[in-house]
Amino acid sequence: MRSAARTRLAQALQLAPAILVLGLFMLGPLLLMGYVSFLEKGSYGGVKWGVHSVEAYVKFLFERDFDDSLILNPDYLRIFARSFGLAVATTVLALLIGFPVALYMAMQPERRRNLLVFLVTIPFWTNLLVRNYAWILLLRNGGLVDGVLQGAGVTEQPLGILYTNTAVAIGLVYSFLPFMVLPIYTSLEKLDFRLVEAAYDLGAGKALALRRVVIPLAKPGIAAGCILVFIPCLGAYVTPELLGGGKALLIGNLIQSQFGVARNWPFGAALAFFLLSVVLLAMTVYALRFKQRPEHGA
Amino acid sequence: MSRLRRFPGTAAMAWAFFAYLYLPIVVLVVLAFNANSSATIWTGFTTDWFGRVANNPDIVRAAKNSLLVSTVATIVATAVATLAALGMARRRFRGEGAVSALISLPLVVPEVVTAVASLLFFVLLRIDLGLLTVAIAHTVFCIPFAYLPIRARLDGLDRSLLEAAGDLYADPWRTFWRITLPLLAPGILSGAMLAFIVSLDDFVITYFVAGAGGTTLPIYIYGMIRIGVSPEVNAVSAIMLVVSIAFVSLSYLVGRRG
Amino acid sequence: MTIAAGGRITAEGAAAAPETAIAIREVSKAFPGGTVALDRVSLDIRANEFFTLLGPSGCGKTTLLRLIGGFEEASGGRIELHGQPIEGLPPHRRPVNTVFQSYALFPHLSVADNIGFALEMQGVARAERERRIADMLALVRLTGMEGRRPNQLSGGQQQRVALARALAAGPKVLLLDEPLSALDLKLRKEMQIELKRLQRETGITFVFVTHDQEEALTMSDRIAVMESGKVLQVGTPHEIYERPARRFVAGFIGETNLLTATGTGGRTLRLGGGEVAVEATVPAGTSVTIASRPERLRLAPPGEGLAGLVEDVVYFGTDTNYHVALEGGGRVAVRVQNRGQAAGRPLAGSRVGVVAEPGAWQVLLD
Repeated sequence: MRSAARTRLAQALQLAPAILVLGLFMLGPLLLMGYVSFLEKGSYGGVKWGVHSVEAYVKFLFERDFDDSLILNPDYLRIFARSFGLAVATTVLALLIGFPVALYMAMQPERRRNLLVFLVTIPFWTNLLVRNYAWILLLRNGGLVDGVLQGAGVTEQPLGILYTNTAVAIGLVYSFLPFMVLPIYTSLEKLDFRLVEAAYDLGAGKALALRRVVIPLAKPGIAAGCILVFIPCLGAYVTPELLGGGKALLIGNLIQSQFGVARNWPFGAALAFFLLSVVLLAMTVYALRFKQRPEHGA
Repeated sequence: MSRLRRFPGTAAMAWAFFAYLYLPIVVLVVLAFNANSSATIWTGFTTDWFGRVANNPDIVRAAKNSLLVSTVATIVATAVATLAALGMARRRFRGEGAVSALISLPLVVPEVVTAVASLLFFVLLRIDLGLLTVAIAHTVFCIPFAYLPIRARLDGLDRSLLEAAGDLYADPWRTFWRITLPLLAPGILSGAMLAFIVSLDDFVITYFVAGAGGTTLPIYIYGMIRIGVSPEVNAVSAIMLVVSIAFVSLSYLVGRRG
Repeated sequence: MTIAAGGRITAEGAAAAPETAIAIREVSKAFPGGTVALDRVSLDIRANEFFTLLGPSGCGKTTLLRLIGGFEEASGGRIELHGQPIEGLPPHRRPVNTVFQSYALFPHLSVADNIGFALEMQGVARAERERRIADMLALVRLTGMEGRRPNQLSGGQQQRVALARALAAGPKVLLLDEPLSALDLKLRKEMQIELKRLQRETGITFVFVTHDQEEALTMSDRIAVMESGKVLQVGTPHEIYERPARRFVAGFIGETNLLTATGTGGRTLRLGGGEVAVEATVPAGTSVTIASRPERLRLAPPGEGLAGLVEDVVYFGTDTNYHVALEGGGRVAVRVQNRGQAAGRPLAGSRVGVVAEPGAWQVLLD
């Protein structure tokens, strides 16, 4: 039919710009990056186009001795481990803080709920640098936290939190808490509170009702929140850079240094590719495990 | 609130949470008005630092760059996203999932990875790093941010309105201009504002592809922070915060109207 | 002006034979996924008539309406509008207008702009447009509401705006997709009278879709009863009600008695110890289903008509329904108008005879 074909053409034309722009400037570069990871590093930085090697991936675990034999190098493994550990710790902390907050929000009357959601969302849209800078102000020696604690007589010496793992953790939790709170809130908001009332009716106390009714029904939200925190945490750059003192603490910083001081582009590309793969893997696992079955009941 | 709906400890946690969330922001804005250059002692109210910022030619130039890049990226991304939303919502087709995934790609891929990939791409094509590359990179990641509110608004549009327009002798083109676009407008505006903020605030990707001539405000701020804490940084940061918050609030209100 | 058969006023010199406004020939519609919404439907809708498509949900009536309007393409068959084929034409090129079930008023335009929309699209000058808008508002009795927005109107008012909007361009055919279903009972009855009046005044061909059989009976000149994508019967309300040809039609409209009887070769059928008269000739030995309306039957002393036992007496105010179990098997309802005589009425448990008025029993095709 003429009009059906015309519709299809119109549709194709409408989608073309997006597909072109994203294909050319997003997908293409990612594939290019994968290719670069298999190239040899150039003498003064950059790459030797057309000269292939897997040296970049070897570098993950090993370094070469003078006689070109491989020695196990734990440095990068430590960085991977620290990134992973920090991401897990952040996720867990965010969950422990975020769940009660989401629960509180979900139990509010509707107008208050919308306002609270809005308030939670706002910081997300502000500049990440600025937010981390604020934490520098708070956490540094002589900063606001020290000022308050010393002024109250709780401590005498500066706490020295800044430029430690702790500072980075505080900053990461701060940045990603909204990502944990909102999905859990969304799940809980859909909760049919009558189920909880039924539990009370049957004699359950609040703790039991929570454990047996609320939390299981909030599982999809919890899973979503964990994924939304864990993945960006793995790739975090700004927070560890500013609050960690510029040492290559996490994968993100390591990658950046390959394009700055360290000048090993294939290695940087390999690291980035590795990070991307982990992220895609985590998302696939999440999608398969948690998005397959529709929610039952609430 | 009904006693049943109260869970012990959650209220306290919630208040602590909101305090934690807004404390740094509030502190920053307050300190920007602190007469004392040391961040911890309050000596008096002043707007001097803002004056210094406004008179700093480097900051002003960086701000102009930011506005230029963000405006261009927003316009292009919103136009592309609007077309894409119209195309996706029109009718189901094979490969729908793939296109949807492509559009959300910038949201899923970690910023560092996108940054590296973009850098390599521009270098390979021998495109000089500068405002142009920044604008291109920004346009790309702004698309999904503009797309989401537009798509949501489009999905909420009653199909029978479009049929009614056709029934009343409006050809597809006129239906679009007289009915679809006006009804879609709040979503487009909302999407554009979100794209603008995201572009204005971006650091990581910009840092990689800006080169020497593409200094935007966030990059400049980063440089200042590396040097150390100073009242000018406080002032610039406070400005950026307020602008972001104002824009988000506006976008939210616009999106809810109509 | 001459008054032709049926009381319709026609213009001087017009032929008495009705002109076909819409010719539907062997139209089918299958949706991707396999659902067959329409199965080779053929219909003639005459000019100036109030034609109703009646049937339960899913019977295809709305689909057929949408095919006429151009919102869907038929999978097969032809549709002609006053002799011109219209398949393939998009809605904006068909001289047909629609009143949607959800009204579909443009929320960002005023009432006046809504009503004038079609005229605007056709390039009618502003002065003329405003005149016509005023005319339409007067027609649906909403004068004074020009500046209002749709969300400021009540349901009934929105409905009238939708009507005015569809009539503004003076179409030859008006399609109405269950336009009254969202209104409360009182409003609905008022609008039924309004619509009927409008149709008579303007002379526009109305194609009306509804699942409410009472609505169909009161408003229509002719009705097409549909089921599962097929047209089962077309006729005037009187024909559909009194002489249903199919079991479904008999059962869908009003209350019906259904019995199985055997033919004797003539116009009499044998049925459980008694006999009934029908208008058709049925071969001897053939088993058929017959139907009658409860009000066409009468209660008589036992010995007359079909013998039976009164099982239940249900009092309705205006009528009384007697549920009678027939001796030869089967049950019928006999509806008797209450004329005030309480005495002499059979009680439950009494023996009675059931007698039919002439022509009451119809032989069904299925």
